[in-house]
Amino acid sequence: MSSNSRADARAKAAEMRAAQQRSETRRRFLTIGGVLAVMALIVGGSIWFGLREQDKGEEKLADAASSSSEYGVAIGDADAPRTVVIYEDFLCPYCGELERATRDDLTALAADGKVRVEYRPFDLLSRIADYPIRATNAFALVLEKSGPEVAKKFHDLLYENQPSEEDPDAATNDDLVDLAVEAGAAEADVRGGIESLSHQAWVDEATAEAAKAGVTGTPTVLLDGEVFQDGRTIDELADNLISELE
Amino acid sequence: MTGTRPTVLAWLGLAARLVAGVVWIVAGGLKVAEPEASVNAVRAYQLLPSSLAEPVGLALPAVELVVGLALVLGVLARGAAVVSALLFGAFIVGIASVWARGIEIDCGCFGGGGAKAGAASAYPWEIARDAALLAASLLVASLRRTPLALDSLLFAPRPEERATTHEGAMN
Repeated sequence: MSSNSRADARAKAAEMRAAQQRSETRRRFLTIGGVLAVMALIVGGSIWFGLREQDKGEEKLADAASSSSEYGVAIGDADAPRTVVIYEDFLCPYCGELERATRDDLTALAADGKVRVEYRPFDLLSRIADYPIRATNAFALVLEKSGPEVAKKFHDLLYENQPSEEDPDAATNDDLVDLAVEAGAAEADVRGGIESLSHQAWVDEATAEAAKAGVTGTPTVLLDGEVFQDGRTIDELADNLISELE
Repeated sequence: MTGTRPTVLAWLGLAARLVAGVVWIVAGGLKVAEPEASVNAVRAYQLLPSSLAEPVGLALPAVELVVGLALVLGVLARGAAVVSALLFGAFIVGIASVWARGIEIDCGCFGGGGAKAGAASAYPWEIARDAALLAASLLVASLRRTPLALDSLLFAPRPEERATTHEGAMN
């Protein structure tokens, strides 16, 4: 064998090695690319699924907001240019915070005919204690016996005297009766029903309606039929809501 | 380095990979079917503006699931471990931040989320858990390869070896 052909063979080998290396690198990148593509597909697919679920939820909420509910109390003109619906639980601390941050402004705006605000209490948190059921039952009873104005006042008083989530039983039935009377209900009208949970069915129906509307948490604020959640904190949300309405 | 140390470390790495991976699969799997709850859980941290909370809440469960699968199967294990470590780091920051601000929420780690009274008592344990899982992720990321990883199949024949055998066959 001549030294020429040996050199030839060596060059060929080097070339093959290089080609091999190139194809290995290509294979490597293709494998990585393939795996990443599958991962992206899974992530993208579930985001798509999530968005679709959310859209469905929001459509349901919009329907719920445009139809008036029997399970709540409203302030302001029925034909006011804007509508706000607030789903809330009497025990939920964020609902209490939202109440404190928005009540005065919403009341003033409703009085000016700028907005109609509907409060729809229901039971979200009875897994913690029965307070949400007792309070919502009392609210329904007062609404029936003494009318919406007294019920709204009772609603406000309930939030002003909201028990903490750690000790919801601190608010007894006697306390509920006292607040109802303070709001303007007659004790004889409400004591029996508060103690016997006379409006438990109303609470169940209001809760079922909220669930049907797609409400998954409280407070859920709807502005003109769309979920309003502009703000990182409840206070920010309240400020943004009020400035939106002013 | 002694002869046995790397293998012990490698098996430790496998254990870390599986533990972190299973945690991610469980956490992601529980949340992936409930996008609303996941978005609410992110929102409850009151860290991200609401325009960001939504995409993060939607994407996070899926990312967790994918990272978990990659770790358990050992596919692109090092990359997955890096993402895993970053996520655990972010969660530690998130929990520490709600703790510091006195916000009491369910961490939403395994579904659920939102305000929860008395949740602060769980924060130290949640941070400790995430720190341990962060350490496990870093261990996996630091190892070139751990045993029983699909990576060993996917990237099996190393280029130099194949080329040398070819050359050998030619001579």
